Amino acid sequence: MADKHKPAPMVDEVSDFEVLEVAVRELAIEKGLFSAEDHRRFAEFAHSIGPLPAARLVAKSWLDPEFKKLALEDGFTASKEVGIDWLNPTGFGTPSDYCDLRVLENTPSVHHVVVCTLCSCYPRPILGHSPEWYRTPNYRRRLVRWPRQVLSEFGLQIPSDVEVRVEDSNQKCRFMVMPMRPEGTEDWSEDQLAEIVTRDCMLGVALPHPDRKADDKRPVHKAANPVHGH
Amino acid sequence: MSRGHHAEKATGKGDPQCFRGEAPAPKFKVGDRVRIRDLPDIFYTRCQVYTRGAEGVVAVVTHESPAPEDEAWDNVDEPEWFYIVRFKQKELWPEYPDVYENDTLQTEFSERWLESA
Ligand SMILES: [Fe+2]
Repeated sequence: MADKHKPAPMVDEVSDFEVLEVAVRELAIEKGLFSAEDHRRFAEFAHSIGPLPAARLVAKSWLDPEFKKLALEDGFTASKEVGIDWLNPTGFGTPSDYCDLRVLENTPSVHHVVVCTLCSCYPRPILGHSPEWYRTPNYRRRLVRWPRQVLSEFGLQIPSDVEVRVEDSNQKCRFMVMPMRPEGTEDWSEDQLAEIVTRDCMLGVALPHPDRKADDKRPVHKAANPVHGH
Repeated sequence: MSRGHHAEKATGKGDPQCFRGEAPAPKFKVGDRVRIRDLPDIFYTRCQVYTRGAEGVVAVVTHESPAPEDEAWDNVDEPEWFYIVRFKQKELWPEYPDVYENDTLQTEFSERWLESA
């Protein structure tokens, strides 16, 4: 069995959409619509964005009622206050990140959660790249129909007297959730508050908690049944 | 029209902002009860099948833009208003548990997909 130690392929299967993306990209480069260097630069720009500006937007809103009003009325303008211009890096935005940001405010009676059943629309300019699970057919198909079951798989139980409101982001609006400020954060600074507003809280699959920060160290869980020698 | 016409139009404004003022007056307002039409969609649509025929309430009148069914073919001359519509989950999924009867779902439509209910 000589081929027993052959390395496994890095990717077992390339989807039709990946093939399509490569084909269209190569055609566009050949036609001179953009260069390979443009494409690389754009990908690098897109990957450099994370969820911190959105966390800042939420923290600021918790502290400043005027800013909160702006965030809820005009997410595009409010984004500028946290350093994000949706028109970057091209001057007209990015091809699928349209510039109409809607901030969904959680209240004691309504909990929002965001999905795109058609593809994976996501407020990337202010929240960075979407997590892998957000793009899976599993999440996209099930969240609209069985939202409470899916949320409970994330460890989030919403009481039955709270309305769960699913936002299916299917057009040009982009959505993020403004969670409620948790108890135990009285007198906290904007910096402290921003630390507990994690990406998942702004998608609606988690709630912020004063003891849980985005950059917390992961606990080490020892295996229950360790394999000897490993 | 040049290949870059869309980028040129949206430069300095953004999309959908660049279509502001180009659609006829909106037919619906916040609070209106609407039904989702079941139009043919042979080539391209962004109107989910699970909403066809369902009734809901206009939650937000969002912006003007060409409908995706047109824009997919670069037909951008007739923008229309868009609406976020709120449905009761029970209206969309008959088996949705009664105990969660307050749960809702919102999604967005261009005007052509809506009729008064
Ligand atoms: Fe999408």
